[in-house]
Amino acid sequence: MKKIRWAPAVVVVALIVGACQAAAPGGGQKPAKLTIAAVQGNEDAALKAVAPLYEQKTGIKIEIVEFPYDQLFEKLVTTFKANSPTYDLVMMDDPWMPKFGTDESLQALDSTYGIKRDSDIPDVVYDVGTWPPPRGPVPPKAQGKAAHLIGVTIVGNVEMFMYRSDMGPAPKTWDEVKANADKNKKANFWGYVVRGKATNPIVADFLPILWSFGGDVFDSNWAVTIDNAASLKAVKFLVQDLKAAAPPGSESIDAADRSRLMAIGQAYQSTVWPGEISEIVENASVSQVKGKVSYIPMPAGPSGKGIGMMGNWLLGVPKASPNGQAAADFITWLTSSDTQKTYVDKGGIPARKSILNDSALNQKNPYFAALAKSLEAVPNWRPRTDQWNAVETILGTNLNAALAGLTTPEDAVKKAADQIRTLMKGAGY
Amino acid sequence: MANVTARPAPVPRAGAGRFTRQERLAYLMLAPVLGTILVIVTYPFLLAVLQSLQDAGSEFVGLRNYAAALENPLLYEALAATGIYAALVMPTEILLGLGFALLVHRIVRSPRIRALLFVLATIPLVLPPIAVGVIARLIYAPGYGVLNHLLIVTGVIRDEINWLGQPATAMPAVASVDIWQWTPFVYLVLFSGLLTVPREEIEAAQVDGASGWSQFWHIEFNYLRPLLLLILFFRLADVLRVFDHVFILTGGGPGNTTQLLSLYLYRIEFKYFDGGQAAALAVMVLAAVSIAYSLVTRLLPVERR
Repeated sequence: MKKIRWAPAVVVVALIVGACQAAAPGGGQKPAKLTIAAVQGNEDAALKAVAPLYEQKTGIKIEIVEFPYDQLFEKLVTTFKANSPTYDLVMMDDPWMPKFGTDESLQALDSTYGIKRDSDIPDVVYDVGTWPPPRGPVPPKAQGKAAHLIGVTIVGNVEMFMYRSDMGPAPKTWDEVKANADKNKKANFWGYVVRGKATNPIVADFLPILWSFGGDVFDSNWAVTIDNAASLKAVKFLVQDLKAAAPPGSESIDAADRSRLMAIGQAYQSTVWPGEISEIVENASVSQVKGKVSYIPMPAGPSGKGIGMMGNWLLGVPKASPNGQAAADFITWLTSSDTQKTYVDKGGIPARKSILNDSALNQKNPYFAALAKSLEAVPNWRPRTDQWNAVETILGTNLNAALAGLTTPEDAVKKAADQIRTLMKGAGY
Repeated sequence: MANVTARPAPVPRAGAGRFTRQERLAYLMLAPVLGTILVIVTYPFLLAVLQSLQDAGSEFVGLRNYAAALENPLLYEALAATGIYAALVMPTEILLGLGFALLVHRIVRSPRIRALLFVLATIPLVLPPIAVGVIARLIYAPGYGVLNHLLIVTGVIRDEINWLGQPATAMPAVASVDIWQWTPFVYLVLFSGLLTVPREEIEAAQVDGASGWSQFWHIEFNYLRPLLLLILFFRLADVLRVFDHVFILTGGGPGNTTQLLSLYLYRIEFKYFDGGQAAALAVMVLAAVSIAYSLVTRLLPVERR
């Protein structure tokens, strides 16, 4: 009788033990399905398009769960915090990597699954997915730790520059950008579009200008430098010089507005992300300027350099995923040369040099050459600190206030610098 | 003959101090609901209280998170912005909703037109907030916004108005979206309330020569009073949760002008990753709202006069 009474308990314990074993990271068994958390929009369109090919090839179903940008970040933060095995793969914007790297939320793809660098892909693309960062300042919490690849780029975004090549030559410097803006500004046509919406948008627009002017948010020891002379000059250039040629309402303009203004023939030039090009500016169904816009790497500033900004989207494997090996195999397949050809055909943004420099593909994708040059020139990444989201919020709010004329550039950088210093000190920097 | 009031027979108890059979049945039937509330409301709230007393490493820090939250000057900017937003949207929605309800109740007699208005009023309520934000962006966007285009074409203005980029217009623009979406809710609730007013009372007042205002103030308003309180509660809760369309339209800008409490809380949690401070804020907001609700309930008589 006793045996019979204990039998259900034994079964339950066996099931729990079995479940726990299946949930251990790095599982090598072939799963029936891999679940990917992805960002909704042009960034995951090609991923969705090629995923069924993987199922045909391996029998592993790829389920893609999409979220809008901010919701994806929230979802990943809470999922990682709970150590939940909900997702086998996650899409991440590269500024999120320091947070997830510091929190050790992701599995090492090199040492655990043998993913190696490919010489056809620029080193900077692997570097952005490596934690701790292989160059530049390292956050205190990550110092002394071994560097590992924790994310592999699947969207090779680099911020570039676009201008109406049917109306004028390519600007080589930001001074020429300003001169062209003033020269071409007329009724219902703006010389430059500032992407000035508060927080992330204005910071993304500003950082390439800041770097090209020789400024930065931090120095190599995490000391705040956003209020030094070079940085202040860059702020004034954006919120005064460029704004003078920009449409009213720059304070609320985001990427989609900027591209629409270009597409409807109301703007001469601006910075641009590759996704905006294929989705709006070069999309014949919505654009009046298809073929009239050219794309170049960031113009040079007083520092003599033009520095683009990375905005790569990476795939990583959460620590809690029980299907690490299969997930890593999917990454290898997706970034392989063969798959990337199909991926690009479906609108994907590659990082492979051989694809970006392919003349036939350049005909179809007029920004590929500029993207190849931008990657070759080694673009900057946003400072690799787990505090970046807060820093960006502080900087983006104060820059936006200066752009709106609510404060002077001097006061804006001072306020931003003070707040960032307090934040970083509190975080142990 | 003396009145004899029959007292209900006592319900048999199984034992002293124990529930009656009816009580047990009642609690049994309530158990699923109470259990659900416990899981989805009480448990997260208790977790939030716990988190508000801990630091990032789950160490107990007493009231330090509450102090940090109250010391942050951005909190007061967010509270001020939320106050301005509430002051713009709540009276406007209530007055407009009440006006529409009275107008339709008194003028529109056709059941078909009333049904059509009901359907039209429901549409904004069922739209996802993100979709509402995107539509609003097409209206107010700089450069290609529909509103500026219409105003220029009709000769009302010559140059574009920077709706979202200056404090004087950004908050009203953001508030207008709320007013568009939620005035129909007020209309629907109050119109339903007007339908409950006995026809005889109105007819008697009309025979006595009461004006339209008198009819409203002395009769209809009494029937609407509890509903207005309900609307006030719902809308206040909604104002504290407003997020999507503000995020899409201005991102809280220019500067911090439209950074409402919900957006501020979101940033403390997901940009500053200060879960303790965010939890402390959430607990304080909940406490403040509970106090406000109990005060409003006591100060405003709910029952009809």
